[in-house]
Amino acid sequence: MKLGAAGVACSVCGIPLLAGETRGHEAEYYEKLKDGKIKCHICPQECEVTNRERGSCGTRENREGKYFTLVYGEIAAANIDPIEKKPLFHYHPTEKAFSIATPGCNFICKFCQNWEISQKRPEQVKTVEFSAKSVLFNARTRHCPVIAHTYTEPVIFFEFMRDCAELGKEAGIPNVMISNGYIKEKPMRELCQYLGAVKIDLKAFTDDFYQKICGGKLKPVLDTIRVVRGEGTWLELVVLIIPTLNDSSKEIDRMTKWIYRELGPDVPLHFSRYYPTFMLQNIPPTPPETLYRCRKIALNNGLHFVYIGNILTDTANTYCPHCGVLLIERAGFAAEIVGMKKNRCKKCGQLIPGVFD
Amino acid sequence: MTYMAVSSAFPEVFARPLSAESRVVEVRDDLLKRSGDDLNPGAAARLLNEALRKLLRANSDISAWKKLFNPRDRVGIKVSCLPGRKLSSSVGLVHAITEGLGLAGIPAKNIIVWERTARELKEAGFRLSRHGVRVAGTDEYEGGGYDNRIAFAGSVGTCFSVLMEQVDVVISVPVLKDHDIAGISAGMKNFYGAIYNPNKYHGNGCNPFVADLCTHPLIRDKLRLVVLDASRVQLQNGPAYFHRYALEYGGLIVGTDPVAVDATGWRIVDRERIKMGLKTLKQMNRQPGYIATAEKRGLGHMEEKFIEQIVL
Repeated sequence: MKLGAAGVACSVCGIPLLAGETRGHEAEYYEKLKDGKIKCHICPQECEVTNRERGSCGTRENREGKYFTLVYGEIAAANIDPIEKKPLFHYHPTEKAFSIATPGCNFICKFCQNWEISQKRPEQVKTVEFSAKSVLFNARTRHCPVIAHTYTEPVIFFEFMRDCAELGKEAGIPNVMISNGYIKEKPMRELCQYLGAVKIDLKAFTDDFYQKICGGKLKPVLDTIRVVRGEGTWLELVVLIIPTLNDSSKEIDRMTKWIYRELGPDVPLHFSRYYPTFMLQNIPPTPPETLYRCRKIALNNGLHFVYIGNILTDTANTYCPHCGVLLIERAGFAAEIVGMKKNRCKKCGQLIPGVFD
Repeated sequence: MTYMAVSSAFPEVFARPLSAESRVVEVRDDLLKRSGDDLNPGAAARLLNEALRKLLRANSDISAWKKLFNPRDRVGIKVSCLPGRKLSSSVGLVHAITEGLGLAGIPAKNIIVWERTARELKEAGFRLSRHGVRVAGTDEYEGGGYDNRIAFAGSVGTCFSVLMEQVDVVISVPVLKDHDIAGISAGMKNFYGAIYNPNKYHGNGCNPFVADLCTHPLIRDKLRLVVLDASRVQLQNGPAYFHRYALEYGGLIVGTDPVAVDATGWRIVDRERIKMGLKTLKQMNRQPGYIATAEKRGLGHMEEKFIEQIVL
């Protein structure tokens, strides 16, 4: 953690810190308004923030008309995870991802599993200061071919993720973003220049759910999904199925038809099992039958790669959409490539969408 | 010495359900205008005690403070320090409050003046202290200073500052100011500084979130007095200090009904905005809707006809 004092400059960007301020790196994508206010353009919340206040993410602060991110390089979690845990099933399967997060999120999902870091303000969480170079160094020395920005919401540490991704791209260690997709178009397009893959949580297919359960809106997320797909960055989608809130057949039907129509049949879709946590403790875990029903609807609507997560099942395996042979076998987060040669089915030669080494 | 049981010590003020009428005392005096950025503690004490006597219909300062506080109380004074020294709770006023608590027989070691962070307290002119009257930021406590359990209050899910648990009673000492999103920031919104994720509850003008938060027993049952510092009032561009719209109002608003105090603060802000040539908050579509919601939640009275206003 940086410890600043009057007259001291930020160690990263060189901007002077105000007296007593402990951290700060000038944010990007904001607009200066009159009377010292600013408007943040990093995410669709579009917070207008007066002096000394923060945006809804709690990680960006207006200081005398300049907007600062308080989480640049402030790492609250760093782990080596199987990339299947993200989940990314068609992107360097079986590999390890050096996974990092800063505190903060631009949503307040009532079912957040990582709320103890995602919902807190930066000063309420113990962090270790990393530079983008040190992230890359750690990934390399720990034999992780991928860096994952995950756990909380990478959009709120956009600047740091972008710097890591840019360095990683040059060094041949791709970065992936595990996100809620609540980001404005411009910064997302900028990220797509450097990221290797993006996983987006499509939390439901109704605006009501987004507003009441997550504190956001559906449309901007759909817009982001289109942007990522349009940019050609590898994309996978996850839907956490919560009984009674987003599990109706009608909703899943509408959602999967939209995915097929807008993105095509090859974007992997993961239906994950919900467990009670954080502010949503009164709904029991998702019955496996519900997940199977959702998967069946998605397959019927033409999607080729539909997985079920958070339970042990062979529906986590990847099968060839042409000949049906087993391509990648999975158990929990373990994975083994059994029926592929490079990016094709060994048996029928079908090209399998994704990034396979 | 024999102490009264806490529950029987304050029947007239804290009887539930809510009394038919609330009383709010407003003091205006040139001595309540800030010299530099602070108030004279002696003058603040004299005027605060006068207000409390009127508020509680007490014959003396001691009896006024004793009507509200029990010598065994552990008291938390929640100040508001986000805007820095120019617009934070006055150190002199807080000193006056701690003296008043002394009149009620509360030892200094049982009083804590607190805010979200030690940095904010220091920037507001407070001297951090672990001895006598404690002055501390929530962030100085273990694990960041917030309870790990999620507390629910209507639409709000949050973790409270551990200090809310450690005290028996709370005095809210906010500064009356315009708030860009909420309309005004006063006694109830001050408790956004008692939770770990206030940033999540600024949508829709902070309504119903401020009101819902204040229904939580940690606030509803512990809040015993609101001393609204209106020595300097920010009328526009708040909650930070903005010189052009800062008014040296020279006032204190005191009450035990947090809704009535906030409603009174709102009326003052609107009245002074008009004098300054500004539109009212309602005309700006920024009226603090959470005050009406708080009334609906049974936290107090908003309507003037239910508030006995005493101006000194």
